[in-house]
Amino acid sequence: MHIIVRNAKCQGHARCWSQAPDIFKLDEDGYILPGNINVAERDEFLALRGARSCPERALEIDRSSDHITNDGVS
Amino acid sequence: MVGDFSLFTSPGMQRIPNGDPHEAVARVHAGPPIFYSPDNTRDGRGTWLITRAKDQRQVLQDPETFSSNRSIFASALGDDWPLIPLELDPPAHGVFRSLLNPLFSPKRVIALEPSIRARAITQVEKISASSNSCEVMKDFAIPFTVGVFLHFLGLSDERLDMFVGWANRLLHGDKAQRSAAARAILEFIDELAALRRKEPADDFMTFIVEAEIDNRSLADKEVRGIGVLLFVAGLDTVAAALGFDLAHLARNPKDQELLRSEPERIVLATEELLRAYSTVQMIRVATKDVDFEGAPIRKGDYVSCATMIANRDPVEFENPNTIDLAREDNRHTAFACGPHRCLGSHLARREIIIALEEWLSRIPHFRIKEGTAPITYGGHVFGIENLVLDWS
Repeated sequence: MHIIVRNAKCQGHARCWSQAPDIFKLDEDGYILPGNINVAERDEFLALRGARSCPERALEIDRSSDHITNDGVS
Repeated sequence: MVGDFSLFTSPGMQRIPNGDPHEAVARVHAGPPIFYSPDNTRDGRGTWLITRAKDQRQVLQDPETFSSNRSIFASALGDDWPLIPLELDPPAHGVFRSLLNPLFSPKRVIALEPSIRARAITQVEKISASSNSCEVMKDFAIPFTVGVFLHFLGLSDERLDMFVGWANRLLHGDKAQRSAAARAILEFIDELAALRRKEPADDFMTFIVEAEIDNRSLADKEVRGIGVLLFVAGLDTVAAALGFDLAHLARNPKDQELLRSEPERIVLATEELLRAYSTVQMIRVATKDVDFEGAPIRKGDYVSCATMIANRDPVEFENPNTIDLAREDNRHTAFACGPHRCLGSHLARREIIIALEEWLSRIPHFRIKEGTAPITYGGHVFGIENLVLDWS
């Protein structure tokens, strides 16, 4: 699984981080770090929960390709 | 497109005993998703009322079309300067937001936790040692939340009553009271800024008067805009949320028992309580004529995004009027969304969690004291008063 991070939409709610701090990393201001996130299978439950908690819809769950590497797109 | 619902004048919005203003506003979802409410501000101005969570998100994420520039505080004084960053639009907004964000980040709040918890424990122990009953707003919610906030600003608790009085008159007083309170707060902040310029301390106002943006110090107006906003924003919102939360637990013994026996549920439950008992109405001003989801919004029109309405949207939340403390995927917007997401949200959330944890672990099963009735009200910031809890 892959999470597309739309940085421009992040407003620092930090709800994703509160659900899964090891998956969603924040900068010093409390906004998500740029770059899409590859999620290991064992982390999928928490990652889904974190992505679904975003009030801005800044995190999109993408199951289409489990092989894309972190490409830093923001 | 005119509707008869208003957060100020509709049934359930006035001061009434045993009211449930959140359930009362939820009724708008039976009607049209957007309508014009002719009397929906304290001053009797009309606003468009956006009821759907999805539409509110669109408005709040689009500051170019829906501006925050209203100088609402200054206009009460016949002045014209913005509360910062609340009443600034991008890109100026982002400059100040970047300056302030690190002070309120989730990590910063973790560092503040021990002192906040110590304060909560002191307050609750004082109450439990002296009585089997208390008026929760006056005895706990206000002194706790305002105390945390004043400490953050670098002010002692001594003048807490005076500050709370100013906030009450500013938010709930008549026009003359509001002006007088605004003037008092303004003078206080100006004096504090002047003092911290002369005698720096390890506190928020010192940080502000010493701060730089774009390689320059802040102008007096900017220092004032930040200081006044922080002062006003922190004074009653968290206390109001805590009041509604404790009233809910008093009236729903099963929920109270759940959090009492499994306190690790309090963190998640706090999100549901924030959703169900949101307290703030955001207003934006249209910067141009725009047809928004069929509504002919014209330049200068006010647009209301009330958190307590979006958070009861049945499209967004399954059974929105059922308060389910185990609710997952809870994308509530109690702290708004878009660039103006509440700067203090992480602090506020932590205060509520700590207050509930310490209250539940030190006060036995509580209920609304027989023969008393909490008073609730709607408006720009929903609130509750006279919340007498009893555990005798």
